[in-house]
Amino acid sequence: MRLVPLLRALASFALLVVLHYTLRPLLGWRAPMDFLLIALLLIAVRVRPGAAAMIGFAIGFVADSLTPAALGAGAVAMTLVGYGASWLKAVFFADNIALNAFFFFLGKWAFDIVYFLAERRVGGIELVQQLILWSPLSAAVTALAGVVLLVVMRPLVEPSTA
Amino acid sequence: MPVSRPIRGSSRVDQIIVGTCVLLSLLALVLPATVREPVASVLRQSVLAPLIMLQERAELSRRAFMLHEERIEARDSVTLKALSVSALQSENGRLREIIGLGARLKWGFVPAEALHGRGVRDAYSVILSAGSNSGISRLSPVVAPEGLVGAVERVDPTMSQAILWTHPDFRVSAMSQDGSTFGIVQAHLGAGPNRFLMEMRGVSFRTELKPGMLVVSAGLGGTYPRGIPIGTVMSELKTPESWARTYILRPAVSPSDINSVMILRQERVTEGVEGVWQQGGPNEAALRAILAAGDSLARAAALQEAAARRSAIASMRTDSIRAAGGAVTAPAEQSRPVTQPQPQQPVTPSPVEPQNPPPQRDSVVRLGPPIGARRDTTPSPVPREPGR
Repeated sequence: MRLVPLLRALASFALLVVLHYTLRPLLGWRAPMDFLLIALLLIAVRVRPGAAAMIGFAIGFVADSLTPAALGAGAVAMTLVGYGASWLKAVFFADNIALNAFFFFLGKWAFDIVYFLAERRVGGIELVQQLILWSPLSAAVTALAGVVLLVVMRPLVEPSTA
Repeated sequence: MPVSRPIRGSSRVDQIIVGTCVLLSLLALVLPATVREPVASVLRQSVLAPLIMLQERAELSRRAFMLHEERIEARDSVTLKALSVSALQSENGRLREIIGLGARLKWGFVPAEALHGRGVRDAYSVILSAGSNSGISRLSPVVAPEGLVGAVERVDPTMSQAILWTHPDFRVSAMSQDGSTFGIVQAHLGAGPNRFLMEMRGVSFRTELKPGMLVVSAGLGGTYPRGIPIGTVMSELKTPESWARTYILRPAVSPSDINSVMILRQERVTEGVEGVWQQGGPNEAALRAILAAGDSLARAAALQEAAARRSAIASMRTDSIRAAGGAVTAPAEQSRPVTQPQPQQPVTPSPVEPQNPPPQRDSVVRLGPPIGARRDTTPSPVPREPGR
């Protein structure tokens, strides 16, 4: 990755992280959007699977420090999602809004499945309800937010032609 | 979403990296809490510190936004309650005064509520919630704790209509409280704020009324009994009359304060009401003490609580002064004795100008049947001073 695209990617990544800790608590929805996951997916399609896994691990581990009881759950989920997104990036090759939205949706849902299974705090009917109802809703909201951000931040996320 | 690199799968290095990351994550999951917490704490205090601060502010903003409407509703309800408390206190005071007047009259009266209309005659007449079924008849005097209000003009079985002293046709024979000076009191009908003053006409030129003197009904003519307060002298009105004086009076009853009134029955008028409106006597003081007894318990409790609070503060101050090595002096508040609430003295209401425009003398509409037949006297056609 060249310097200018790298800087743009880092800027968009920082912006998404800030959004995650400002806009998300400000909205306070029951099915929240996950800007960290959007940031990871945007980075993951630009780097090798191993690097994407490491970035995911770092993001997840740092985010898990807010919930020490589940330290590592977010890290393993982010690692797998980052690795998978980078490995599957061949699917998402064009500026197709629907495909990108599906990419975000799938990533967020997969993250939630891994996270809640690894966290082992929720179980039984509540876990099923979470994974069948709230996680898809959250994934849909995240997909919508990701698409909107892709449109708004196009100058930042597009690869440089120079 | 653009892809900046050609398609390729994961190499063995990538697999080793992802495996290592997963293993580290699972290791973190199974770490004991004593190890997990310090690691998380370090991350929270370093990398996540600014982000946590942002999140805290965002959550505070959201909470403030969510509570905004609730706060507005609470503030509105508190304001409404405060307004109603003031109105209730005012009404309570009026009712106490009415009760006091009823206790002094003892018999021969009918309590009634005065209902103000919203028409042109607002300032002239009121509807009373008592009629002939209660023994009310035409020309029955209407009084309030402060003094004379007016007279009943029309009577229905359950309600009646009374003209107020502001009515252009209202007349009452009046005298000074000592009975040395007599005259006729009517509405002043001036412009602006003077519209709701009274004037006492036909006062003998030899006598002079000083400002502040109380004017009461004289009892001449048979409509109003003797001794009902009408108003207090403000000043003399200069007129071209050389044989009589005219005085401006401040009315005892403001039209805006007419809510609960007493209607005197004919037998009470015949019997007289002298002594009922005398203030300051022993009976008056005893009655006011009885009326204030309802609140005295609550006030006493509040005073005791305040005294306890003051003594606690004083003891804290004393301790701090002693700790500082200074002399202990009793604060002024502490040395002040706790006194029981004293009954409030009656306050003479000031005239309040209603919103209706003051009518001109030459444009006054005569309302209802003329009541000149029951006037105590006929108003003299002497012109007023120009510019009044």
